[in-house]
Amino acid sequence: MKRENNSVKITVTVNGIEYRETVPAHTTLLQFLREKLLLTGTKEGCGIGECGACTVIMNGKSVASCLVLAAEVDGAQVRTVEGEIRDGELSALQKAFIEHGATQCGFCTPGMIMSAQELLERNSNPSREEIVEAIAGNLCRCTGYEPIVEAIEAVITSKDSPRRST
Amino acid sequence: MAETNDGYTYIGKSVTRRDGVEKVTGSALFTHDLVVQGMLYAKTVRSPYAYARIKSIDTREAEKWPGVRAVVKGKELSYKVGLYVLDKDILAKDYARYQGEAVAAVAADSELAAEQACEKIKVEWEPLQPVLDPKEALKENAPRVHPDLEHYGYMKGVFFPKPGTNIPHQQKIRKGDVGEGFRQADAVVETRFYNPPVQHVPIETHVSIAQALPGGKVQIWTSAQSPYTVRNLFSVCFGIPHQNIRVKVPYVGGGFGGKAGIHLEPLCYVLSRKAGGRPVKLTMTREEEFNTMPSRQGLYSEFKTGATKDGKIVALQVRYYWDAGAYADYGVNIGRAAAYAGAGPYEVPNCSIDSYVVYTNKVFGTAYRGFGHLEVLWGIERNMDIVARTIGLDPVEFRMRNVLRPGSVTITGERITEHHGRVDKCLQAVAKEIGWKGYKTEQQREEEKRSGKVRGKGIALLHKAPAMPTFTSTGVVLKFNENGTVDLMTSLVDYGQGTYTTLAQIAAEELKIPLEKINIPWDSDTSFTPYDWQTVASKGAFMSGNATIMAARDCLRQLKETASQVLRCPVEELECGSERVFLRHQPDTAIQYKDLAYGYVYPNGNAIGGPVIGRGQYIAQGLTNLDPETGQGLPALDWTYGAHGMEIEVDTETGDVEVLKIASSFDVGKVLNEALVRGQIIGGVVQGLGSAMTEEFRFSKEGKLENPGLVDYKILTAKDIPRKMTQHVVETPQTDGPYGARGVAEHPMISVPSALGNALYDALGIDYFRLPLNAERIYFGIKSGKKEHHG
Amino acid sequence: MIKPFFYLKPRTLEEALDALQSDGARALAGGTDLLVEIRNGERRPETLVDIKGLKDLEDLTFDPQKGATIGAGVSLNVLIDNAQVRKHLPVLSEAAFSIATYQLRNRATLVGNFCNASPAADMAPALYILGAEVVIANAEGQRRLPIHEFLTGVKQTALKQGELVLRVEIPRLPKGKMAFLKKQRIKGHDLALVNMAGLADRPTGALRICIGACAVTPVLLSDIGSLYKDAKDVEKLAERVAELSGTAISPIDDVRCSKEYREDMVRVFVKRLVRQICSGG
Repeated sequence: MKRENNSVKITVTVNGIEYRETVPAHTTLLQFLREKLLLTGTKEGCGIGECGACTVIMNGKSVASCLVLAAEVDGAQVRTVEGEIRDGELSALQKAFIEHGATQCGFCTPGMIMSAQELLERNSNPSREEIVEAIAGNLCRCTGYEPIVEAIEAVITSKDSPRRST
Repeated sequence: MAETNDGYTYIGKSVTRRDGVEKVTGSALFTHDLVVQGMLYAKTVRSPYAYARIKSIDTREAEKWPGVRAVVKGKELSYKVGLYVLDKDILAKDYARYQGEAVAAVAADSELAAEQACEKIKVEWEPLQPVLDPKEALKENAPRVHPDLEHYGYMKGVFFPKPGTNIPHQQKIRKGDVGEGFRQADAVVETRFYNPPVQHVPIETHVSIAQALPGGKVQIWTSAQSPYTVRNLFSVCFGIPHQNIRVKVPYVGGGFGGKAGIHLEPLCYVLSRKAGGRPVKLTMTREEEFNTMPSRQGLYSEFKTGATKDGKIVALQVRYYWDAGAYADYGVNIGRAAAYAGAGPYEVPNCSIDSYVVYTNKVFGTAYRGFGHLEVLWGIERNMDIVARTIGLDPVEFRMRNVLRPGSVTITGERITEHHGRVDKCLQAVAKEIGWKGYKTEQQREEEKRSGKVRGKGIALLHKAPAMPTFTSTGVVLKFNENGTVDLMTSLVDYGQGTYTTLAQIAAEELKIPLEKINIPWDSDTSFTPYDWQTVASKGAFMSGNATIMAARDCLRQLKETASQVLRCPVEELECGSERVFLRHQPDTAIQYKDLAYGYVYPNGNAIGGPVIGRGQYIAQGLTNLDPETGQGLPALDWTYGAHGMEIEVDTETGDVEVLKIASSFDVGKVLNEALVRGQIIGGVVQGLGSAMTEEFRFSKEGKLENPGLVDYKILTAKDIPRKMTQHVVETPQTDGPYGARGVAEHPMISVPSALGNALYDALGIDYFRLPLNAERIYFGIKSGKKEHHG
Repeated sequence: MIKPFFYLKPRTLEEALDALQSDGARALAGGTDLLVEIRNGERRPETLVDIKGLKDLEDLTFDPQKGATIGAGVSLNVLIDNAQVRKHLPVLSEAAFSIATYQLRNRATLVGNFCNASPAADMAPALYILGAEVVIANAEGQRRLPIHEFLTGVKQTALKQGELVLRVEIPRLPKGKMAFLKKQRIKGHDLALVNMAGLADRPTGALRICIGACAVTPVLLSDIGSLYKDAKDVEKLAERVAELSGTAISPIDDVRCSKEYREDMVRVFVKRLVRQICSGG
């Protein structure tokens, strides 16, 4: 393996679009999304995986993008909050967040939505405990969490809940 | 909370907030996200010592580092910053006064280059003996955090720094004669409490971008609560005229008071200036947010209460010692405001309060939701329970006998009227919700202890008025668009409370147009949106709401004036409704707003009127400064009262507490939007629980902050919230508030720790005096076997 | 701010071992500890060798006779989701579930958790009581170490430069009841103030308890097996084991809690653990 410079070439699909980029090896996925692809929906809240503001879905699993290197997503499928709206239509979860006051300042919201969306895609009928477990890694300082849990529960109990797939 | 139908279309309804789509799609741009053409990134070098003289700073290597465009150190800057006391330098000059204080800064092409360059900056320090406790700082030979205090500028007539000391302000309240009061008392009780410093933990850290433009102009983008305050303080600091400074505030990821003043903007500006005018962005890392950005002051509180055997408080003597940290910032005002609220929502005929704001060598305190009231009410409400028990009264009953009611006089001499809220109703509501029947007996406790889990209930009251200058004011502009929609322009910042939605409801209600037709451009910009003092103090809905009503009525006046010419009738015969102006006695004769919005055009081409632009303003009415010796005066725009009732379960083997239920009640005057009120209450209660149960700054003996990060500064997660939270409102109209409303933004956080402390007494028979009430503290109280735990 | 480094993605184990030879090379699996350390300046590796995807590291097998194998690439959530592990080695699933957050568990690995060698590593006590063995690959071949010889100190292991942990093996399926307990400051994600795992099997009189976060490495209580065999009363047994645990540990004061609280919580939790695994015959 060559080591002349510390850049890596990656091919990654983000929200359905393929990108081929060369990035310094130390670039995190979070930095790649925000600074290279200008997808600023995903936020940095702590840089050490404690707050969840940087949560995205990678190959179907929610991950803290501040602790994933861009190098590690070569060949991967990544979804960010920007990809949740399809043809101008908000997802059921996005609508529920608005209706139930699950977003106040909005800074934790993208990460929260990705964690919740990933939950709904692997578990169509989670209990309250399972909901809480899925979002416990997303810190919110504004809402007190209860409205967020209510929004997610509303999506589960509503009759039409369109699911997303990659 | 039940919604009432009182004839309003939008007021009182739970309309969904306007800004949801931008936030759930990630399209809302925060300063965190902004990139400006030519932007540089800044990083800082910070003091490892709590107190040290800066002997020298060698920046030569840093200046040569690839990508570096500017390096600045304190010595080059001759400016002073401060809200009330001008005690702060942009970068520490000769002395670093807290561990974490910035002493030098670099602006470079990338954050990485800036950080690497910072590592090349060599600082020679002479560590000094720090003072880390406010009581220590009051002693005769304590180290002086600001030896030059007497030479600082400050807001005269309101604040009184004491030369030769560590005291930037002392507030006094003197009502009646406490000596006489104590003589009348049947019981005199003395108690002492402590709150540690904590942090706001906004999920978006502090971040600013500033650009020094040619011609002495400045452009700033910042995550802040007060664009006009940033502009004003910036102007005062640099001597740049206001009109040359433009401040833009986009979406803000949480503020809670921490972003109320001026923070990173001056540093970004001086770096930009040195970098030839390129914009400079400085984003605090989470560690810097804890270690460098301000905190909430710590507080020692001491009470001496005299009460008669039939449960009347006759004397109250209080001492507050605020741990202001290294700079006065908002701290001096907190010391002032919390003092005038410092007896709690009670009638106290003889009262003496001394509130000392004291410098220490720790990160400085600033405004934080509650503005000192959570801190003082920790002690006040715990004290009330202890006094009640001492005289043998039920704590709810004791409070009922002393709460402020119409006719009562507060400790600053304000007379309570029937337009004030009803704290007694809030108290009764929560007592009922948690099923308060009095304290457990010792026997009941012992029996429960055998199972390893004991339950307890506790209640605490709260009150707060906006702590703001007597001349606080705000403006709102409503401008029509050609299609009859309206833009609402305000510099009030909505950083999550939902106030923009409330203002839209008010505008729609007054203008009698559909809510969807009110548009609120999100960003605040001192070039375009009219003045608002600050988005703090729970006064947004009140003051900006009133200004919105006035602006709407101004619009209607303009619409009617033009319409009266077109319809050839006196203005008095016109009515507005359903987006049109019409003749009251002949409603079919009407003109639509949209045909008047930019002026009316006759068939022959003549035109009259012009763009409809409504102006509204509101200035706090009748407020006075406090007498420097007695604290008497009228500082309060409005008082919001509230109460919490809590039920908990304690694991006696570990000290872990499960909050089973929190019932909260507030007299909000009038619910403008129930969903938003509920949102504030739940959010504030959970934030209050953080202060109650887990949050504190831990300092080493040398004054180094040992937990500047989310790993060891724990805030509540979704797993930690109470099993049940209920919200209740009382609606005693605030006559001068919009539709009778008063604020409820800060209040839900206040007194949550007090309710927990009181519930712990019920559960365990143990009084705790220090926060946070974490498992370890509770456990050691149980282990000691004593009835009081001061550790 | 993550410091610059080189990134290599070996296609085979041989390439990985070769890359790991140079000073300053470190293996990258989940990255949830390593990337944090790099950001905080605690480690400054020259090269990160990404071992994810190497098929030698992906094993997650379970056999009632031969025991279990968990490869270095297996994430905590994959481990937790495995029904066999949940059924037969619940102490591993419980320990894994207590770690960090759901999204971090999608990346963090069991092997990474104990290779980081924090005294409070949540996977370690369970591995101790299960008698786990660490299988290590190097240029010469393979070697194995019992877990208690692998962890040598605070953030220190017996792994040499050029070596890579391939997997952890639980040599045989243990009989009896097992459980993992953890004392945290909040219910949400938190490091352990104290953690412990226990295994009890009445017929053979086996009783193994290992306590973490109370010494530089996890503390396996010795000589308690015989106590269980002769015990007539679970409560008395619990008390006795708690007493012995007190003398075996050496906790410290730190920013999370005091030494005294740790000592007292060890007593409380050891008793709870014994009650849980030793009752019901």
